[in-house]
Amino acid sequence: MKSYFKNIFEAISTVSTGMKITMRTFLKTNGLLKKKLNGYDYGTGHVTISYPEVKDDLPLNSRNRLFNHVEGCISCNQCAVICPVDCIEIESRKKTDDEDSSAKTPPEFKSKPLKLKLLKFDIDEALCCFCGLCTEVCPTVCLVHTPEFEYSKYDRDKLNYDYLNFNDDNPFPKA
Amino acid sequence: MAESTLRTEELTINMGPQHPSTHGVLRVELLTDGEIIKGAYPDIGYLHRCFEKHSETREYIQVIPFADRMDYLAAMNMELGYCLALEKLMDLEIPDRAQHLRVVVAELNRIASHLLAFGTYSIDLGAFTPFLYAFRDRERILNIFEEISGARLLYNYIRPGGVLNDFSKNIEEKISEFCKYFIPQLDEMNDLLSGNSIFVQRTCDIGVISKDMAVSYGLSGPNLRGSGIRWDLRKSQPYCGYEKYDFDVCVGEAEKGTLGDCWNRYYVRMKEMYQSVRIIEQALTQLEKGAHTARAPKTIKVEGEVYYHTECPRGALGYHLIGDGSKRPYRVKAKSPCFISISTLDEMCSGMMLADIVAYLGSIDIVLGEVDR
Repeated sequence: MKSYFKNIFEAISTVSTGMKITMRTFLKTNGLLKKKLNGYDYGTGHVTISYPEVKDDLPLNSRNRLFNHVEGCISCNQCAVICPVDCIEIESRKKTDDEDSSAKTPPEFKSKPLKLKLLKFDIDEALCCFCGLCTEVCPTVCLVHTPEFEYSKYDRDKLNYDYLNFNDDNPFPKA
Repeated sequence: MAESTLRTEELTINMGPQHPSTHGVLRVELLTDGEIIKGAYPDIGYLHRCFEKHSETREYIQVIPFADRMDYLAAMNMELGYCLALEKLMDLEIPDRAQHLRVVVAELNRIASHLLAFGTYSIDLGAFTPFLYAFRDRERILNIFEEISGARLLYNYIRPGGVLNDFSKNIEEKISEFCKYFIPQLDEMNDLLSGNSIFVQRTCDIGVISKDMAVSYGLSGPNLRGSGIRWDLRKSQPYCGYEKYDFDVCVGEAEKGTLGDCWNRYYVRMKEMYQSVRIIEQALTQLEKGAHTARAPKTIKVEGEVYYHTECPRGALGYHLIGDGSKRPYRVKAKSPCFISISTLDEMCSGMMLADIVAYLGSIDIVLGEVDR
């Protein structure tokens, strides 16, 4: 009999400990409680955002959709080699005589000599695992991960990006 | 009269693979006699991605993203083990700063992983509130990781020789600020759930793993320490300079219930988070200027065989690496702690009540990505 009532008392008291914390967090979040209690800073204010309307600022180095600035690409193939899932496809050929063989990449891409003509630079973003290895090996830093993450498509084939003729419904943010 | 005519039989029911409390895609075949479980046969392999075989066709550095995806909740610890094994094969000296940076990220990830274990365990047992508190603070850690490495879960941050990029001053401040912020929050979470009578009654004296059984199965990590065995690879076989830090190995002390039950395993995780914060604070004060990575060759070619194990949030994860002198590994074998934890399921759950299996599964904190690999 004694333990029966003890059990009830224990259940009520321990559950109310949790309820107290919940209540304080609620009050704190809504600005009704300002002071700290027992040294705890109960609640931290609102922690969620209403996503499609309000967007979180992603850090610049966050790894999301890849983008290749083709004018800076020297067709070195290093990114395609290091890719663990083989999602990059590059085709290039030697320049013919009537093409300018002394051309260089723009200065923002380290002015490297453009010896090859890039014919194809495709990345299948559906395969990409966002490991970032390709952007690290890129000698001209023309292949970059961008903070752009909202690019879902209804058709899987549309995720295969052709960066030589890149046009998207969403204008691409300058990376 | 009624007893003799009533036909009874054992019933086989499926738990999973979409059951929310199996923490991934685990299917358990339960043989039940009314409310009592007579046998529990885990059926694994739903998340098998052929990581080990696939690694043999990839270069050493390309394996790191695969290692990430094993235990996706503690990816830093997974990478760390692989890189340490590889460095041992390469005979690479790691700069002091890189060691500290690695410890900071590994311990932060341990906190994130334990927070998730805490949150989902509470949800499994019907308490929704602690989950929100846990995820609020886990989010802070993930934001820090995103700033450090660029990714939120699969970091690919730890590399042979060191780490990908150095911490900025801003991030160091953010981490130490997080440590200060986190301790009171952890106290709060502790108050919220650990003493709660409903929670205590659902976890105490359930799924008691005795000391002998824990050792004979080869359990590791919080599951082993929950049974009262003081074994932590960070202390007993220090790597990454863990011997320089002052921290305690948390073991179950049977504050409630019996030693080795679900509550004690859960509480070891809570206590470990305090220790992780201690380690991070020490590592941040010991951070000195220096290189964040050693000079590692661009293409790694190694020969030899190595086994290296590290203390991950879920136990001792071992890598058996064989190199044949080419730029691809000959064999990468990962010894997973979760696989061992899951193998206790049949023995522990036989004789248990049906509702308790959820409490047991949550308390051993498995991640199926690591079990199946």
